[in-house]
Amino acid sequence: MVIDVHVHPEGYEPVYDEELTPKRKLAMGRYITRSAPMKLVFAQMNYDKIDKSVLLPLDLTTQCGFRVLENEDIKKLVDMYPDRFIGFASVDPYREDVAAVLDHAFGDLGLSGLKLNPSRQKFYPDDPMMKVVYDKCVEYNKPIMFHSGTSWEPDTPAKYSQPLCFEEVAIEYPKLRMCLAHFGWPWVQDTTMMILKYPNVWADTAMLYMDRPKDFFNQIFKVDLSPLWIENCINKKVLFGSNCPRFGPGDMREGIELLGLREKTTKDILGNNALDFLGMEG
Amino acid sequence: MVKLMSFEVLTRATFDIMDITDKCCELVESSGIKDGIAIIMTSHTTTGITVNESLPCLHNDMEETLERLIPYNDPYMHNHFLPTYGATGGNCPGHLKSMLVGYHCVFPVQDGKMVRGAAQSIHFCEYDGVQLRKLYVEVMGE
Repeated sequence: MVIDVHVHPEGYEPVYDEELTPKRKLAMGRYITRSAPMKLVFAQMNYDKIDKSVLLPLDLTTQCGFRVLENEDIKKLVDMYPDRFIGFASVDPYREDVAAVLDHAFGDLGLSGLKLNPSRQKFYPDDPMMKVVYDKCVEYNKPIMFHSGTSWEPDTPAKYSQPLCFEEVAIEYPKLRMCLAHFGWPWVQDTTMMILKYPNVWADTAMLYMDRPKDFFNQIFKVDLSPLWIENCINKKVLFGSNCPRFGPGDMREGIELLGLREKTTKDILGNNALDFLGMEG
Repeated sequence: MVKLMSFEVLTRATFDIMDITDKCCELVESSGIKDGIAIIMTSHTTTGITVNESLPCLHNDMEETLERLIPYNDPYMHNHFLPTYGATGGNCPGHLKSMLVGYHCVFPVQDGKMVRGAAQSIHFCEYDGVQLRKLYVEVMGE
């Protein structure tokens, strides 16, 4: 099974809003505002051989006064296409009703995890105010997808999202599964330390800051890091993510496959490892 | 009289050739214009329109020739982040193939029908699929 753990669905037709969607896309630094009919979404997923996509919203209540999709929108998409989508929630940690939002998202809506972006939402991951968020995720056994490293979105200081910002969280909450999105680029050595040392930390491949995927992934996994590491040391801790629609899942997948890794390692990255992170059966 | 019409196609692969002759003829005939010209145009920059014989072997040769001239994974300057898009430009081969093949074709219209040679079929070419693409057909005449 191939699982793309990093997809932003704000342009999908069933949740497209003439007024809100353009604002949401601007907030996310995506400037193409066409809606995506579901026949196109699934034609692309099928051609790219992606079995399931993890859909990520972002709660920007404090920063922008709106959410880049409501948790209910994600629930709607998952209910429409339960075989193709896995839905995450989001919450603005500065909201006073943060516990209630998470109880509703996990308890009532049944969403499968939480998306947070410390750079965009302006918090440090080890801020004491985050305790209620992490406690709720542990209580409901839900993983967190953290944005990590630089971001193409506007107003996103990287100081909040450097991989080492998450270390004390990983130590203090050993039962909290977390993924450092975008492999924490450009701090890929730090990310490697995090996923090597902490059993509850993963990293995804949703990074393409220059070049084509095959060239960029080759630089990261074969030059910046030793070619042996992804095969022998962190092979169970890397998740396939595309950051669609910013980057094409097919190209990103091809970039992974062209690394020339063991077949088993490639399969683990493309899907098996995601099952561990998500807490799902294979 | 001038009549502008459009239609969409959902392409099936990164490279795809689709015969759109019947659809174009249907739209021209529905325009009500008896004598004039018809222009068929793609509205995208990584697609093309070409008029050729509709044979699978030729489609294959077209694909292989374009790929040989414009390899998919060459180190193009376009492969960088585009701030105005919010995405990395990874589709340079599509732009270059579009440049070579062109984006439109023109036929005479006589007695309400497009005038074509016996082997002339109209093909929509996708170079950056899978995508939902929009094409325009404009008929001008009387």
